[in-house]
Amino acid sequence: MKIVIENLQLRYGKFTAIENLNLEIGDAESVVLLGKSGCGKTSTMRCIAGLEEPTAGRITIGDTVVFDAEAGINLPPNKRNVGMVFQSYAVWPHMTVFQNVAYSLKLQKLPAAEIRQRVMEVLALVGLEEFAQRGASLLSGGQMQRVALARSLVMRPSVLMLDEPLSNLDARLRDNLRVELREIQLKLGLTTVYVTHDQQEAFALADRIALMQGGRIVQMGGPTDIYDAPVSASIAHFLGVSNVFDCQASLGTDGQVTAQVAGTDALVRSTQRTLAPGKDLKLCIRSEDFVLSRESRGGVNEWAGTVRVTGFQGSSVRYAVELKDGSELDIFAPTKGSERFGIGDRIWATVAPENVQVLPAEVPPGHNIDARLQENAPLQEVVA
Amino acid sequence: MTQILDRPEARHLASTPPSGNGARRLRGKIRKEIPALVILAGLAVLVIMPMILVLVAAMSTDVPRPGNAGTGSFTWENLAFLTTPEATKGLWNSLMIGFGASVIALVVGALLAFICSRTDAPLRKFIFIIGMAPVFVPALVGALAWSMLASPNAGFANILLKDLGLDLTINIYSMGGLIFVLGLFYAPYVFMLVHSSLSMMNADLEEAAAVHGASLPRMFRTVTMPLAMPALLGSGILVFALSMENFPVAAVLGNPAGIDTLPTYIFRLMASAPAQANAAAGIAILLTAGLVIITVAQQWIVNRRKFTTMTGKGARPRQIPLRAWRWPATLFALVYFALSVALPMLALLLAATQDSPYLTSMSQLFDGGLTLDRIVEVASAPDFLTSLTNSVIVAVVAALAGTTLNFASSYIRYRTTSRLGGLLEQISTAPLAIPSIVLGMGILWTWLSLPMPVYGTLVILMIACMSVALPQGYRSISSSMLQLHSDLEDSAVMLGAKRSRAIVNVTVPLMRVGIVSTVLLLLMLAMRELSASLFLFTSNTRILSILVYDKFENGQTTTAAAISVLFVIVIAALAITAQLLGSRDRQNKSLNEASDSGKNSL
Repeated sequence: MKIVIENLQLRYGKFTAIENLNLEIGDAESVVLLGKSGCGKTSTMRCIAGLEEPTAGRITIGDTVVFDAEAGINLPPNKRNVGMVFQSYAVWPHMTVFQNVAYSLKLQKLPAAEIRQRVMEVLALVGLEEFAQRGASLLSGGQMQRVALARSLVMRPSVLMLDEPLSNLDARLRDNLRVELREIQLKLGLTTVYVTHDQQEAFALADRIALMQGGRIVQMGGPTDIYDAPVSASIAHFLGVSNVFDCQASLGTDGQVTAQVAGTDALVRSTQRTLAPGKDLKLCIRSEDFVLSRESRGGVNEWAGTVRVTGFQGSSVRYAVELKDGSELDIFAPTKGSERFGIGDRIWATVAPENVQVLPAEVPPGHNIDARLQENAPLQEVVA
Repeated sequence: MTQILDRPEARHLASTPPSGNGARRLRGKIRKEIPALVILAGLAVLVIMPMILVLVAAMSTDVPRPGNAGTGSFTWENLAFLTTPEATKGLWNSLMIGFGASVIALVVGALLAFICSRTDAPLRKFIFIIGMAPVFVPALVGALAWSMLASPNAGFANILLKDLGLDLTINIYSMGGLIFVLGLFYAPYVFMLVHSSLSMMNADLEEAAAVHGASLPRMFRTVTMPLAMPALLGSGILVFALSMENFPVAAVLGNPAGIDTLPTYIFRLMASAPAQANAAAGIAILLTAGLVIITVAQQWIVNRRKFTTMTGKGARPRQIPLRAWRWPATLFALVYFALSVALPMLALLLAATQDSPYLTSMSQLFDGGLTLDRIVEVASAPDFLTSLTNSVIVAVVAALAGTTLNFASSYIRYRTTSRLGGLLEQISTAPLAIPSIVLGMGILWTWLSLPMPVYGTLVILMIACMSVALPQGYRSISSSMLQLHSDLEDSAVMLGAKRSRAIVNVTVPLMRVGIVSTVLLLLMLAMRELSASLFLFTSNTRILSILVYDKFENGQTTTAAAISVLFVIVIAALAITAQLLGSRDRQNKSLNEASDSGKNSL
């Protein structure tokens, strides 16, 4: 079901956890709230669930207003039909897997046969049908995660919410479950809200990503949009861009941006066609966008440097390259199909102008995206 | 016409009044605080009202009596009692006792803790039991046993010395005796705190010192000691406070020697005819004020500790080889065990098997043969049976009601956004700083001034037991509550359960062990309770501890000993059950941890 959040605000005393948040999540859509810890993403989710009482605003799920500060409506969480998978799994250790999953159906006083059928169905969906009678405290982390998911799915929730559900698992299991989660979500056509601080997870699971900073949505868009065009250097850095330099930039007569890295005379060209106002600009380049060679190619955006450290990472090699002026580049080169360099090698690093971004250091204070669908984006900026 | 026009608008306003919004929100807020307010009212009657009444009594001419709830008129005169020779002497004695007992307890407790946690002395597991065991001997029983062991005329130890032809008398009825017995029985508090500090200490810290070239003694002096300091200081001050407010030991061992402490002086003023209750209240305020300061200091020191040495999971700390001192260290522990548990229990058993409390030689011990006749006789006497029944009823009700109340306050404090949570916690832990005997006075006056026929019934004793044990119960239930992630309950609510249902289905079953061990702890404390009940019992509502005290006061020492033996058996049974449950809980926890570490292996 569709979720509409309007002017949501949550304060604890003087601290503002959520500031005037506007967000609409379409039916069967998967939206990921992405941000660092303390950005308000979990608070937003808990407000939708009803575990937290907002100080202002309105939340509608489907056609039901579940919270409205003005009208004094606050539906308790148990009446919202929202499924929630907690970071800690919260699987009850004093019950079997079956009892855990059957809990909501027992509360609804359904006949035993129907409960049995629905529980087994959903356990099959998450691949745990053989574990039904096992005590929940005897499960592995991955299995607990599946029980928690099954327990939320079995009640056929209007919305499914997942709070960092994969963060306690090891890397490979996380990759597998991520794919499985996405598959189940698409198969059931569930409206899903997903909270994470892991960009990989966000990219893999989202139809749209809401990037949050300081209790606000600072950027909203599809995974590719966000990956390709972060709106600030701090977001770019958060999304894994590791080469960020202070710079001065100007929009040239050819309509393209030229930047000068602070403290050097190197000019960097970008194909970017707009330049954010303000002085505090940063030059951002992804590690994997560099090309390394032993000889100068004489083109634009080329730096001479010395390899200081190398690190083999399997599919790629990571180099720390020291430039003449003492600054350092972080570079990933694919292992296959590219030359390997050793410590002390003098090399040239090049980056194509289309891979250079000149971004404001931070989004301006008060920058707050209204992410409601009915406004029919282009995404609007609202100054609070 | 205007009326007709107004009406629909008025109806609209009634359904969603924009202007009444603030008022409604306020009403909503108050409604949300109703459970907290109910608990607050309960705690107020248990703790706040008694303390206010003591304060009022200290500054008025009368106290509430049966049939007269008034407190007379205002006066400062009671405070003049603080300067009487008795009061200043009592204060001085109390301070001396507090100081002396805490020095003994610190030395003994810390040494035992060190031997048990950090050395290669033999029998360390048994030393751990030795360090804890005396906690389960009620102070009253311990004092009684020592009076049988070492009273100047009839004490077994003195008779033995005389038999051996030694011209030496140990007099337990003395300042030294008092300090010795209190230090002995409060050493476990030091042991527990220091032991946990020494064994939780992060081994890395010490190893870092060793790696950087510190010798073992130097490492101990520069790293270990400073880290254990808060535990030493904290437990030392705790023992100081406990000894100062202790009534039973001072009464049993101090009275025969004419030594008054503040608590016994308060009791004497209350029990004299005519009772000088207002004067007693004045002194009670002095004693309480002193304890509040001490307790605040103690809490501050102990709480600071968490940030310095606690690491949760530490590797096993370094063990120090004692070499030639291995057996002497263990011997030290065994001597402590003999003095604190074995000899006192033996003395009680011997005394309980004698017809006459007065022996002139140890050889007479076996004249009448050692029989259990007296214990059987005492156990079937009507006053024992009545007191036992009373004790059990009082303890069971107080433990169950206390646990429920503690659960509610702890839930509100840790699981809700109620603004009253902090206040509930403060009131629940306040009795730590209030001497039981003072709380007892306050409870007496509270229920004499409330228009309810509670005085003279078992109910007032239940109330006293609940009130005195609030801090222990609150802490016990809270530690269990804090270990349980709130997500577990929230997920039941998300699945459609009402909050109350989620508590019953999830939180209570998962806290089962914590709840049961809290009930047992409160049962044990209620069974031992004496000081607060002194003013609250009547001839029909005597409980076991009062009966023991009465028998001793009336000179029926052998009967008192026999009852004590039974008393200790009941309490030990409760304590052992609680310990077993606790260790099962810890085992479960380590099982969970094991499954945590294995959780990535799907």
